Amino acid sequence: MSRHKVELQPAFLLHHYPYRETSRLLELLTRDYGRVGLVARGARSPRSKLRGILRPFTPLLVSWAGRGELGTLTAAERQSQTVTVPAARLNSGWYMNELLLRLLQRHDTNEAIYENYAAALNRLEQESAEAVVLRLFEKRLLDALGYGLQLTVTEQGQPVEADRTYTYRTEVGVVLSAAATDPQQTIAGRTLLALAAERLDDADLAAARSLLRGVLDFYLGPRPLKVREVTEAMYRHGT
Amino acid sequence: MSFSPRLQQLIDALRCLPGVGPKSAQRMSFHLLERDREGARNIVEALNVALDEIGHCRLCRMFTEEEVCSICSAGRRQAGLLCVVESPADVIAVEQSNAYDGRYFVLMGRLSPLDGIGPDELGLGLLARRLGEGDIEEIILATNPTVEGEATAHYIAELANAAGVRSSRIAHGVPVGGELEYADGGTLSHAFSGRQRYE
Repeated sequence: MSRHKVELQPAFLLHHYPYRETSRLLELLTRDYGRVGLVARGARSPRSKLRGILRPFTPLLVSWAGRGELGTLTAAERQSQTVTVPAARLNSGWYMNELLLRLLQRHDTNEAIYENYAAALNRLEQESAEAVVLRLFEKRLLDALGYGLQLTVTEQGQPVEADRTYTYRTEVGVVLSAAATDPQQTIAGRTLLALAAERLDDADLAAARSLLRGVLDFYLGPRPLKVREVTEAMYRHGT
Repeated sequence: MSFSPRLQQLIDALRCLPGVGPKSAQRMSFHLLERDREGARNIVEALNVALDEIGHCRLCRMFTEEEVCSICSAGRRQAGLLCVVESPADVIAVEQSNAYDGRYFVLMGRLSPLDGIGPDELGLGLLARRLGEGDIEEIILATNPTVEGEATAHYIAELANAAGVRSSRIAHGVPVGGELEYADGGTLSHAFSGRQRYE
């Protein structure tokens, strides 16, 4: 098998696991190669320079060698601009990482996914409303994966109107809701249009969240998201 | 060539130790059987006793065979100071520095939502109860300066805040005897943002 070398590829560390005595297994989201698994040899040894560099949520430039399921990291450095997600928002960062780990296949290249993730991290660092950042990340991730939501036209081809009530069926689309439908299952046309235009305000957030969650859960399958469970446990303890 | 089943079983069992691969496990097995059967019996005995008797301290979760560990029960320590660390090895490191004479709380891990490790796994219910009892005046957050460690420190600081307990974070910066030129950017930026008045 031919050796394959990649130099200075923009990437983010999604997750890492201890591997052997002093190494680390890395799951990275790269700009041009999609999700990549690499072995970082010696990255856990006390003197390794990589310890301070291989951190989640930090824009990296990584080089590696080897084709196939697991390559070997040959170099890593930080990109010049730094992102520091505030400690209070790290769970949102991990949530995005878990979505990417669960929904992306290895080596499925898609630059839009990388750009969406980088933009969301930047907005988490700044003062943007955390819930809005996550909803837009989810929507654009679904778009980039080819599961994009059709929000402005109903399944029958009628334009969605702001003051009517609809239901959203995964893999079908927007359906005008019958009068008898459980209000929990319905969503205002206004919210659908706001989500389509990526201009969510506070009134739309709860409905947008449950819409996106329903669609994501469909593609994620029955295994629950660990970050979601831990976040819920953290709220329980905190109160 | 293959080993007898019992010997293979011993080699496989030894491989559960960190840093022990097939070759080391084989060497250890031969050594114990050939040269040090007495030593092997001591290991068996010590392991049995340890597994039966060693548990966690009721107050700080450190390994101990008592109900309360020697640090928590020592009278001359400052009762109002509680240092939160990730592992028993961190307790030993801080103790050896002689820089601290309060008590500890050992998390036995760090918040790692992607691995499903949350407050329940770290005994934070116990910590919150202790904070609520009112004898602790300051909690020192000595988790590692990794992203997970920072998240853990932040979350515990919120618990402390809710209980009206002051919290502080250990400083991060250039190591003593180190050189700025060789410090990584993250460490240097911490060193600058956490600088102190020179007196």
